[in-house]
Amino acid sequence: MTRRLLMLALLLLTSLGFCACKKQPGAVAAQPLRNSYDSEVDWNDSTRVIPLSYQAAQGKRIFYQYCVWCHADATPAGPSNRSNLNPMPPLANDGAVLNSLSDDFLRNTIMLGGSAVGKSALMPPWGQTLKHDDIEAVITFYRAIAQPPYESPARSGPNLR
Amino acid sequence: MPVERMGRVSRGLRLAFALSSVIFLAVLAISPVKDLRREWKRYKRDYIRFAQTRPDTKRLLADYRPDIDQIWLPEMGVVDRCTTCHQGISQPSLAGASVPQPFRAHPPIPHRVQEWGCVVCHRGQGPATEVAEAHETTLAWEQPILPLHFIQGTCGSCHRDDLSETPQLNRGRQLIDQLNCAGCHRLQGIDRAVMLGPDLTNIGTKVTRAWIYKWLKEPRTIADADGNVSVNGVETGEETRMPKFRLTEPELRALSAYLSTQHATPIEAVKFDPRVIATWSKRPDVVDQGEIRFRQMFCSTCHSLAVTRAGETKLVGGDIGPELTKVGSKVKPEWLPAWLRDPQAYLPHSKMPRYGWSDEDLFKVTQYIQAKLTDSDLLNDVPQLGAPTADEIKTGKRLFFDKGCASCHLVEGLGTQKDFGPDLSGLGAKNVSQLEFGTSTIPRNLISYIQAKITDPLSVNPAARMPQYNLPPTDLDAVTTALLAMTGTPATSGIEKLIVPKHQPEFHPVGEFGKVYERYKCYVCHQFNGFGGTLAPDLSYEGSRTSRAWLVDFLKNPQTLRPTLILRMPQFNMSDHEASVIADYFEMVLQHPDVNSASFERSEFTPQMAVLGKELYEIKYQCQACHTVGASGGYVGPSLNNAGNWLTPAWIEAWLRNPQSLVPGTIEPHRAFTDVEVKALTAYLLTLRGAPGAGVSHASAGGQE
Repeated sequence: MTRRLLMLALLLLTSLGFCACKKQPGAVAAQPLRNSYDSEVDWNDSTRVIPLSYQAAQGKRIFYQYCVWCHADATPAGPSNRSNLNPMPPLANDGAVLNSLSDDFLRNTIMLGGSAVGKSALMPPWGQTLKHDDIEAVITFYRAIAQPPYESPARSGPNLR
Repeated sequence: MPVERMGRVSRGLRLAFALSSVIFLAVLAISPVKDLRREWKRYKRDYIRFAQTRPDTKRLLADYRPDIDQIWLPEMGVVDRCTTCHQGISQPSLAGASVPQPFRAHPPIPHRVQEWGCVVCHRGQGPATEVAEAHETTLAWEQPILPLHFIQGTCGSCHRDDLSETPQLNRGRQLIDQLNCAGCHRLQGIDRAVMLGPDLTNIGTKVTRAWIYKWLKEPRTIADADGNVSVNGVETGEETRMPKFRLTEPELRALSAYLSTQHATPIEAVKFDPRVIATWSKRPDVVDQGEIRFRQMFCSTCHSLAVTRAGETKLVGGDIGPELTKVGSKVKPEWLPAWLRDPQAYLPHSKMPRYGWSDEDLFKVTQYIQAKLTDSDLLNDVPQLGAPTADEIKTGKRLFFDKGCASCHLVEGLGTQKDFGPDLSGLGAKNVSQLEFGTSTIPRNLISYIQAKITDPLSVNPAARMPQYNLPPTDLDAVTTALLAMTGTPATSGIEKLIVPKHQPEFHPVGEFGKVYERYKCYVCHQFNGFGGTLAPDLSYEGSRTSRAWLVDFLKNPQTLRPTLILRMPQFNMSDHEASVIADYFEMVLQHPDVNSASFERSEFTPQMAVLGKELYEIKYQCQACHTVGASGGYVGPSLNNAGNWLTPAWIEAWLRNPQSLVPGTIEPHRAFTDVEVKALTAYLLTLRGAPGAGVSHASAGGQE
């Protein structure tokens, strides 16, 4: 009897040990900014910080070098050139204007300039200055900072306007 | 035992055998069952099920293997099994947040994930095959995944040269350089500068003992009502270069005594023309006139002053030189004019240019600084120190070494002290077990260790000699990132060839131009063949760009810069000879190989071409979006009102054809003009000849603010 009990105990122990092999992965604390490559303060609400992916962060860099002068109200050098222009260029975070435009349309406008897509020639073509990846990055950045926020169309085909 | 019973097994024994066989079988089964239940196998199976829900199942499963996937980089010593679970990592159709992890595709980056794997950039444990072991710190595995916010640190392990894609890393490296960390620590990729902190050989001629006491105790002299200073809305410690040492009262007394007796060479007091003193010392507006002159000379290009508006204190101006808000209460009255007249006589490595002062200007500006840039309460909390005693001086000299002052500062007769602090060139590769946390309760990882060490060294080591740095959060993160990049000498020689070394050009011309170049410190703001500052335009090809007459005029009177720039070229009061030395050198040497000014005759540009050019400028290409002609247009690019006098025809043509080939990174878009259009636009721009010195813009033609 004792032997049988011993066996049972052994069996139990083995199974217990078996259970112990499984480990619980620890919970990773949610820290959105610590887990983003870069961030941008919301232009309309300085208390809100938008996390940026690698691609959007590269777009931010390109934007602040080339685009900020006409597509923002505050620039690194002070006053913006935006108010000098007629028609006035849209702000880069103006979701009301940009959200309805497809990626393809934005890409074409940036690459070929305003006159190629029936907009003002004040917007120069950047296709020979910026690399393809740079332009994609800028579009990603625009989408990331858009107010109201941008929602990507689910699996839509090319939407050339 | 009777014979008949031999070989017969009792029931009990049989049961025991049966049971033990069952147990034995069960135990044998544990291993295969465990193997089947492995975490990574579950993800493998999940991936097949997930792929079947996607429209491109066939492509997603094309490379599928039921085994562990592994990327091996022998030269880097990396074994990376992350793709075992992250199976869709390089499938473009699995991009976006809607795809569940671990199957989501990696966002686009410059490296091919299938070749480099994950741990090269993200750290973590490559060979691990369990979620927790791969991503987090466990007993056996010490390198956790790096938070994305610091990932630029790993870029820097191989890319020792700055990349435009890693601004945080570049900023961190710049700060480490500026803060003179190399004074005490050995660092990777950052060399010890010739001059770290100021040379204190003559400090006794410059400031009083009371001021030294105050400065050592609290190296921040500016604060608003809340005790804060902000720059661009970010709180900062002004003068961050001098950190705060936690000195006791006797230490402060001893060090201030020792330093105040350092006056190896007496200063030569400036002898003003008696007529200047006679005229100006009686005039009530001498301070106001001095202020005007101070502004006109663009001292603020390099120096900042604190401005308080609506209770918020801000520093306005550049950060190349020290902040000057209270400098009038700091320096001795006889020292100031001597310094302004010849800074290198006091401090041979100073970046301050040697201005060509007139006695009158020097007197006015000195009066202004001593009257307005002061704070009568600055030294209020300094106790009566009296004359330094021999004992204090002796203790001060010892402390100067013990506290590590000699690592950054020079004093007559004392050599510099190198490697005072620990070697940090391999800090970024340290495991948690190698770090000393003391009684601190911060999370046990390298990032929190580095940050605690910088902001409050005593919290992790009560005996730390490290001073305290007061960095704003973004700068703290940048410095942390740059330290994480310092992973030391590679363990394998194969990795050496993967490292992109730091490119450090030098440009120190000799001869007449070399003297003027050193006197006015042109390279502090301008770039020459990759060497120098980035505050002002790159002058590497200035000889091709500008016409000689314009250049001489500009050097003599550089007030004519575009209105949107805050930082401007100071007026040096250059002599005609110096201006022509510079212009000659630019014309002879600073030429772009593809811009041949000799092949152009201004007469080839006809008025008809200029008419076409004007049309192209205004209607077809709408250059006025960024450039000003007359009184209208944008101000992103320089004003073109004086383009005809300023730029050479060869430069204009080459620029219109491909601006980035002349100045990489310039923001002028590269457009596809035809030959006729290029000629027409050049002809038009050459007709724009505004009066020299009126609305001519020069800055940022190079695309750098």
